[in-house]
Amino acid sequence: MDVRAQTAMVFHLDKCIGCHTCSVACKNIWTDRPGAEYMWWNNVETKPGTGYPTRWEDQIEYRGGWRVNSRRELVLRSQNKASAFLKLFYNPNQPGLDDYYEPWTYRYQDLFDAAEGDDQPTAIPVSQITGEPIDIEAGPNWDDDLSGSPIYAENDPNLEGLSAEEKRALLEVESIAMMYLPRICNHCANPSCVAACPSGALYKRGEDGVVLVNQNECRGWRSCVTACPYKKMYFNWQTGKSEKCILCYPRVETGQAPACFHSCVGRIRYLGVLLYDADRVHDAMLAPDESLVEAQRSVILDPFDPEVIREAAASGLPPEMVASAQGSPVWRFVKEWELALPLHPEFRTLPMLYYVPPLLPVMGKMTAGAHDSVVEEMFGAVDGSRISIEFLSKLFSAGNTDVVRDVLRKLVAVRIHRRSKGIDDISPEVAQKALREAQLTEK
Amino acid sequence: MISQFLFAGLPYLAVALLVIGSIYRFRNDPYSYTALSSQFLEDRKLLLGSLPWHVGIFIVLFGHGIAFLLPTIWGSLTSSRLFLITVEVIGLAGALLALIGLGMLIARRLTSAKLQKVTTNLDLTLLVLLGFQVLTGIGIALQLRWGAAWATGTTTPYLWSLLTLRPELGYVTELPGLVQVHIVGAWVIAAVLPFTRLVHVFSLPFSYIFRPHQRVIWTRPRPAPVNIAASPDSRRTFMKGALGISSAGALLSVGFMEKAVRFFRGPDTTADEDAEILEKRLRRLRVTTEERELELERMKREFIEVARVGELDASTGKYFIDYEMRPALAFLGSDGFPILISAKCTHLGCTVSSKVDSQGRLLCPCHVSYFDVRTGQPNAGAPAKEPLPRLGWVLFDASGELICTQGPDGKRQGEPSAEALAHAQVFISKSHEGASS
Repeated sequence: MDVRAQTAMVFHLDKCIGCHTCSVACKNIWTDRPGAEYMWWNNVETKPGTGYPTRWEDQIEYRGGWRVNSRRELVLRSQNKASAFLKLFYNPNQPGLDDYYEPWTYRYQDLFDAAEGDDQPTAIPVSQITGEPIDIEAGPNWDDDLSGSPIYAENDPNLEGLSAEEKRALLEVESIAMMYLPRICNHCANPSCVAACPSGALYKRGEDGVVLVNQNECRGWRSCVTACPYKKMYFNWQTGKSEKCILCYPRVETGQAPACFHSCVGRIRYLGVLLYDADRVHDAMLAPDESLVEAQRSVILDPFDPEVIREAAASGLPPEMVASAQGSPVWRFVKEWELALPLHPEFRTLPMLYYVPPLLPVMGKMTAGAHDSVVEEMFGAVDGSRISIEFLSKLFSAGNTDVVRDVLRKLVAVRIHRRSKGIDDISPEVAQKALREAQLTEK
Repeated sequence: MISQFLFAGLPYLAVALLVIGSIYRFRNDPYSYTALSSQFLEDRKLLLGSLPWHVGIFIVLFGHGIAFLLPTIWGSLTSSRLFLITVEVIGLAGALLALIGLGMLIARRLTSAKLQKVTTNLDLTLLVLLGFQVLTGIGIALQLRWGAAWATGTTTPYLWSLLTLRPELGYVTELPGLVQVHIVGAWVIAAVLPFTRLVHVFSLPFSYIFRPHQRVIWTRPRPAPVNIAASPDSRRTFMKGALGISSAGALLSVGFMEKAVRFFRGPDTTADEDAEILEKRLRRLRVTTEERELELERMKREFIEVARVGELDASTGKYFIDYEMRPALAFLGSDGFPILISAKCTHLGCTVSSKVDSQGRLLCPCHVSYFDVRTGQPNAGAPAKEPLPRLGWVLFDASGELICTQGPDGKRQGEPSAEALAHAQVFISKSHEGASS
């Protein structure tokens, strides 16, 4: 057993209001530089939607992450060691500027220099790359709040495999449901960007598992950009180097939360230490799709288990790290309560950012123009939800609907239980029944 | 003389620049070692440019390398007519591929507005130099055929003579002008290489083939695993002892070094500067002492004047300082008597506002506590939990006669007439202060 500590994260999607404060905080600190204008190390997407860069989840086009080949080996989707050399000259699957968007600013000086006249002066948009006027055709959140949803929402890669009926129900404009998906680097335990870097410039920090780029060793071969299935590796066109989210390690090391966590309005973000067994990572990532969530959970170690504590010391982990893991909210969400799920576990990178799937669009079902709040109907709502379980399971459990259903039932049961306690319009018997059905007990 | 420079001086200069320049740049500016890929900004033409160029030039350079490194084997191989024709065709095809690619690379640099933002003059110069070199090479291949064969008897011995530091220029000075231009061009490219983006040829990632996929770096050395089997006590005792002794030694030597360095370096400041610093410190001390004396003086006084009763207002308080140098407020009560209340918020000590709001409360602006102006009680839920203490006061009439006193508990002695009250002076007094401590 090789016990490693990982700074892991949980995003509670029910609380996300899609305000983009996290993105702005990150942009102002880290990517407000030439060559980095188009980068959003933190971005918030509306789902269903195509995301940023456009259709990043489509690995047939982008070839990110790992796959299990016919000989049951874990291999990079983007390259093998030989083809990596040919792809130095030209990488066929690398996203280009158009897949993100051309960054722009406005010619504000025109507002001051305009000649006196009857018209209001305007500041025309200019490209932040060429400085020339451009027609803005896309932006990092072009489909925010489902704007233009006939084009964007329908092209969400996660809708593939849904029946026409389900798709129609999901995308019907009058009753369309949506959720927000804030994304940063997952600081994976099996990072494909690190595995793909020909120069060895990318590495996972041993102490806390943060994935970083050594800018002095990066030669700009761009393999990481293609290999990262979450498209959270960015190429700086000015410096010719790759950049990525650094989990604000200069802040974390001085006892401050990362900027996106710190600025989160809905307080949806949790940061904490997880202990995991590095020896088991490889085998776990060979699991078939439907049991990937279970496999990933099995890699995470119980910080209260005396044997784990002993092994942690044997692996050279300081006792403070074990203490942190014991107090970690991430441990509670991911393992103890099994509420938080990895995003796209089928990419097999073992992401260390977990999401609590949203219940709100599920519960917000309208019956005859009024919100449905009949208790007995609440469990029914899980299956008849507006954002279908199928869709959520494509995002969070590699298509295994049982995993997502379990989580949603737990969330509903807790809600009924708390409502019974707090508002008292639900009888304790009903609340007890709800808890039982979700296999929970009253604490 | 000129051929001496072009074929002997220039090569040595070029190789020196190549080796020293590349190493110097790698050691001093590793950050600049990058291929500066522009695929992100433009990728369709890059496919048609970069791939043919790299594949073509690799074939050509490989052929050049073999002819230089293995001249005898190469010579015997090229004596076969079929082999000679084959390698000449492959070489020419490679060169043409490279030329097409290069043409595309130059064209895309010139036509794309985005690419021009990342294109330097040096980049264009380099592209033209390479183009010129490929063109002369193709010219040689077409005009002076079978170079694969004749090179082993001309340029190869020339290069070996350079390498063995006995340059024999006779091998090349007799060659046709086109070949000479091609050779000089090669030296020029070698000389400028370390200053251009071409340095990426030295950072080809061959180690990628051999390394494991994942890379983990421990910022601090990974703590040595604790050996559980060994007796922990004796080990720990020994380790602790060793650590203690060595850290004590380290501390001692640091202390000693510090003194020694000071001694040898002399003082950091001149005598004048020292005097100035001392003077400043003294001045600051003097000011502080004066302030303290004033405070003491004030505290010794039996009465401190606050205001005339007529000046006081029911809705806006008058700030004053109490015996312990804390802010306080004076108001006019509804009964015509003054109300004196501490203005130091009981939460974190901010000064509360002097304005009474519509509900008869004073606001502490720091953390929004409201205090009732009559009782001093904070509102429910305020960060401040304690009430603002009331202060006692004494009233003197115009002739200096004491006409009324009130303690902090609100007990009043003396009943002056309304007219006398309006003209009275409010003081706080040592004996009636009692306020808050």
